[in-house]
Amino acid sequence: MKIVVDQSKCCGHARCNAFAPDLFELDDLGYVAVSEVEVPAGMEEAAQTGAGACPERAITIL
Amino acid sequence: MTIASDPAGLEPTIRYEDLDVPVSAPCARFEEFDKLREQAPAHFGTALGNEFWLITRMAEIRATYQNTDAISNRAVVPHQPDPPYKWIPEMLDPPEHTKWRKLLGPFFAPGAVDRLEPKLRQRFDEIMDDVVDRGRCDYVADVALRFPNTIFMEMMGLPISDADQFQVWQTAILHKGASAPEAAFQAMLEVNDYFAALIAERRRNPREDIVSIASTWRIDGEPVSEEDLHGLCLLLFMAGLDTVAMQLSYSMYHLAANPEDRRRVVEDPALFAPAIEEFLRYYAFVTPGRKVVKDTEIAGCPVKAGQMVWLPLVSANRDPREFPDADKVIIDRKDNRHLAFGAGPHRCLGSHLARRELTIGLTEWHRRIPDYHLDPDVEIREHGGQIGLDNLPLVWNVRG
Ligand code: HEM
Ligand code: SF4
Repeated sequence: MKIVVDQSKCCGHARCNAFAPDLFELDDLGYVAVSEVEVPAGMEEAAQTGAGACPERAITIL
Repeated sequence: MTIASDPAGLEPTIRYEDLDVPVSAPCARFEEFDKLREQAPAHFGTALGNEFWLITRMAEIRATYQNTDAISNRAVVPHQPDPPYKWIPEMLDPPEHTKWRKLLGPFFAPGAVDRLEPKLRQRFDEIMDDVVDRGRCDYVADVALRFPNTIFMEMMGLPISDADQFQVWQTAILHKGASAPEAAFQAMLEVNDYFAALIAERRRNPREDIVSIASTWRIDGEPVSEEDLHGLCLLLFMAGLDTVAMQLSYSMYHLAANPEDRRRVVEDPALFAPAIEEFLRYYAFVTPGRKVVKDTEIAGCPVKAGQMVWLPLVSANRDPREFPDADKVIIDRKDNRHLAFGAGPHRCLGSHLARRELTIGLTEWHRRIPDYHLDPDVEIREHGGQIGLDNLPLVWNVRG
């Protein structure tokens, strides 16, 4: 499973990080700092929850 | 759609003035938006004679906030398409907006809020010490308005003793503005004078606060003008105080009126986190507008340059096409990607601070006063303009 973030859509709500801090690293201003993350085994649910929390719908799970 | 093919024949079907009545019962306005959303995804109307579109559903509202190409922030209330003022950063468009956000960002970033947390806690404790033995209070005036105000004073480097004055101005401008416009106008003049004096003072004697630091910024090589500093102060005043106070008030209104939800959060405080998000979703009182700068289409309707669009967040947040059981408050709701803090580049700059204030305000109250109810003898009123509760009469038993 892989997370893909469309950083141009990210507006810094930091909600992905609130649910899955290990997967969605933020920069100093609270915008997502990653564009592609391989989801480690066992963290699939956290990835889904983090993606489901993004108000901009900037996150896709592949 | 026939109206889409014949824009010249468009008849206004709603009037902004009718939707912005001065006083009503709690949540009456939210329910008005619910009705309009289920009638149509867009309504054409007039706002004091100016043409505007009310957009009602999540998909179109979110897309419109994200569409900075055709949609501008140069005007943000439907009845004022050519405003004589410029709130910063709210009324700027990219790329200028982006530059201001980068400069302001560090003051409001998650890390900055972490550093503020001890102060937030201390301030809320003081307010609780003051009310806990009274057995009753008007939550709006006695708790909700006082909490964010003192934090604002702190960030702006203002004397805490001026906080009461801010509360008076804020009530006149934002709560009574629709019912007593002259007093609101007078208060606005006083606020303007206050900030003009503040900016002049900080230019002479800079300190560590936002105003002092902002007055040293350069944007595209140019120093920030007095006028822009003023626009920044005004926006922070309008955006950062009443919003937190009203969100706290609606949340407490809900918990007072729904003892079962209250019992659940008191027994399991971990539920405050999702409950706060659910209150943000359900009681989203901010109703921004935008100005159309390029002809475009929204929900199949021909939206023309020069017209305004109105994008009430509560209407998106209660859209049953987006949320299962959208009309119910479900305090442990999953996938709650509501838009209470807006969407697109103007996403609330203070959202991290606001969430921290909401968390402290609600958890600390319930730790000390877990059981309370609405006073059945006092009527609760809701105001228009910036939607919010006028008052919230709470009663509880004092122990000992
Ligand atoms: C629960 C409390 C709050 C809510 C619901 C809220 C809501 C919003 C919304 C919806 C917007 C976007 C407006 C638009 O798109 O036109 C916004 C913008 C803004 N808010 Fe908040 N806000 C809250 C608290 C705060 C606080 C505490 C501060 C700062 C002290 C703040 C500062 C701002 C600023 C500066 C903007 C303008 C951002 C920009 O234009 O880029 N807000 N707020
Ligand atoms: S939730 Fe979405 S918008 Fe917010 S930081 Fe994460 S990716 Fe960005």
